[in-house]
Amino acid sequence: MPGLATMETNTSASVSPVVSFDICETYASFLKNEELSAPLAAILALSKLIETSDAGTMLELVKALNDGAGALKASTSNPISLNAGCELFIAFVTLLPHDSASFSDLKLELVRQGQKYAAEALTYRDKIANLALGFIKDDSVILTHSYSRVVMKTLLRAHERKRISVYVTEARPRGLGLRTYEELTAAGIPCTVVLDSAVSYVMDKVDFVLVGSEAVVESGGLINAVGSNQIAIIAQAANIPFYALAESYKFHRLFPLSQYDLPTHTSNILSFPLSPGGNVASPQTTGATKSAHEKSSNADYIRRMTPEQIACNPGVDYTRPDLITLVFSDVGSLTPEGVSQYVVGMFAG
Amino acid sequence: MSATTTIIMTAPPSKSTIKLVPAQSHGEASSSQAQNQPPKSQKQMTKAERREQQERQRAAKAATKVAGPQLSGPNQNAAQAKKGAPPAASTSASVKKGGKGPDGKPTKETKETTSDDSARGLRIFSHFGLPKPPGPSKGDIHPAIIRLGLQFSEFKIAGANARCIATLTAFKTVIQDYVTPPNNTLSRHLLTHLSPQITHLVSARPMSVTMGNAIRELKLEISGSDIDLPEQDAKNLLCQKIDDYISERIIIADQVIQETAGTKIKDGDVILTYARSSVVEQVLVGAWDDGKQFSVLVVDSRPMLEGKKLLSVLSAMGIPCTYLLLPSIGSVITEVSTVLVGAHSLHSNGAVFSRAGTALVAMMAKQHSVPVVVCCETYKFAETIQLDSFTKNELAPAGDIFSSFPLTRSKDTLTLNKQPNLEILNPLYDLTPPSSITAVVTEVGVIPPSSISSIPLALGRTTL
Repeated sequence: MPGLATMETNTSASVSPVVSFDICETYASFLKNEELSAPLAAILALSKLIETSDAGTMLELVKALNDGAGALKASTSNPISLNAGCELFIAFVTLLPHDSASFSDLKLELVRQGQKYAAEALTYRDKIANLALGFIKDDSVILTHSYSRVVMKTLLRAHERKRISVYVTEARPRGLGLRTYEELTAAGIPCTVVLDSAVSYVMDKVDFVLVGSEAVVESGGLINAVGSNQIAIIAQAANIPFYALAESYKFHRLFPLSQYDLPTHTSNILSFPLSPGGNVASPQTTGATKSAHEKSSNADYIRRMTPEQIACNPGVDYTRPDLITLVFSDVGSLTPEGVSQYVVGMFAG
Repeated sequence: MSATTTIIMTAPPSKSTIKLVPAQSHGEASSSQAQNQPPKSQKQMTKAERREQQERQRAAKAATKVAGPQLSGPNQNAAQAKKGAPPAASTSASVKKGGKGPDGKPTKETKETTSDDSARGLRIFSHFGLPKPPGPSKGDIHPAIIRLGLQFSEFKIAGANARCIATLTAFKTVIQDYVTPPNNTLSRHLLTHLSPQITHLVSARPMSVTMGNAIRELKLEISGSDIDLPEQDAKNLLCQKIDDYISERIIIADQVIQETAGTKIKDGDVILTYARSSVVEQVLVGAWDDGKQFSVLVVDSRPMLEGKKLLSVLSAMGIPCTYLLLPSIGSVITEVSTVLVGAHSLHSNGAVFSRAGTALVAMMAKQHSVPVVVCCETYKFAETIQLDSFTKNELAPAGDIFSSFPLTRSKDTLTLNKQPNLEILNPLYDLTPPSSITAVVTEVGVIPPSSISSIPLALGRTTL
């Protein structure tokens, strides 16, 4: 069936309209499942790609996988954790020895392994929660940042047996900290939202800091929602332990040398405006600001950043390994040095 | 005590003659002087008398010097205890040795005072030993090895990679020329045949970690070679293995490092590098060829001034370069985006042993939050732990000899190191602590310094 064959080769190369398999769509549909994080969704999407691929050799298959991964990366502005999942799966496909009767058997095996891994990975959050439990004492005051599923699980698990109270940062601009606040309060955990700028004010009241992660990098450092680095620096200055929770599929071979070495850093971020009148604002926004000014002349009037101004800001930042006390993962509680040893061993071996 | 002293110092003029052989007149004078005043031990002599004695001995020494090597008194003292002194100085050295023995304590004390005063700077580094021109070779040294030894001692071949490749290439010649004696196996006898060659190279210049690792691998291969193979086949196989080693661990590793480190260079960057590392040169050239627009600051230091060679290569390619000496690094460090340096060796605790001055560059960069990236192949990994630059280091040959590398002026033109109170010290290497390093780029990936010990693991073996 030559027609079908050409269609299939088209799909593995790019997102074309005449498609029986669109990797970005598949990825998006997997993401809808609340439990699945970006790397897992990527792994499942890539397994689906193998399932529907007609590659005849390993080389073709790996190329198709790389193309698919490339398409996924291009579709989002923050590809870091997604990348981690893709790299893990592709490394699994290429590095581990597989013995199967035929190539199609091998493909089925790979798909099965991918789905099995994703299913098992859903249990990782529980493992991490149990591990971190030992570090949470009764009457602990915990500071957390933004919203993280694994942190939520840990806090809820801790709440079952111990008394804890939680400060959560607002995490502008997306305001995910408020979501954490709602869920914790619903569970009965005393929780207060603190401003991002009030972290140093609150730090001396805190027993330890607990954050989730988008990715843990090869240096042992952490990539997480912007603001994590600040909290880590303040925690170190105040001698408060800073714990990061990360599933092992978030370990990434990236090695940023600085904040500006991250793949998410574009020339637009932190750039100065070209025109002297400030950032180019749409007439709509300008109008809104003007009318807001007219409405109230109070000194208490709260100004808001325009979306253009927010776009000049980063979404994630990099926390150096020397600021992190421990990384809790399904493979155990690791020091940042241990993380890099694990990553080197896993990807180079 | 003084009685003994009297006997020794005044008695048979022959003894003192032995001490100061060619300068009989001085010897007579000193013994008569010693007769006039009751000889005292060091502590009892006044400063003036001690100085007098030193002057006498210095004059005697100057007279005994026949030719050449400007290795002065302290060097002889420090060195002769360990290694055979070079032929030219051997007469005075052996004379001194003879003088030391029978004359006992006082003589030794005076000798040591003399050497003390002028060797005070060198005493703390006396455990390094000093480089010497390769002495008369003992045993069967292959001409290729002799040539290599000379090239090493004159620094015509310098740099960890270059030395290792040159050593292995020379060993290939040695192996091909080797003939197994009857009733012996290649795998056993070749090792004993190679030992004096290796010793000769070490005496020319202390072995680098790279050479050590390579030779260890070679010995492993030799001892594992099949007994049943005909000799020529075994030799060819060994040469093939050597070629593979050079190709895999050095050449190809360098290419991988070039690509990986190249990704860390972005348009508009200012890269700072120190002295000359062959790997860093490759990285910069490769990145420029890829079309990246950056500029380079080459930091250099005396006496080797290796940076000049790197500068000429980079500017020939059109890369905008700035050249400065190490003391002025403070004024430019704020402009730098990344520091790229090479390494002589990498240690288990994450410390990097590299050209003297690298530690200063790294620490300065760290102070200003500039990332420091070390480019290093995995075969430079040493399982030892090194905590300071002091316990293990190498001194460049002392004195003005090293005003330029390789040696272009005759040794007779130097003036500086004939001064008795001045000792010139040139350690070649220093240790950069892991806290100053941001990342190490190897062919197995980019590794933080705290995880250097996992490199053998990454290569899939328990030892390197």
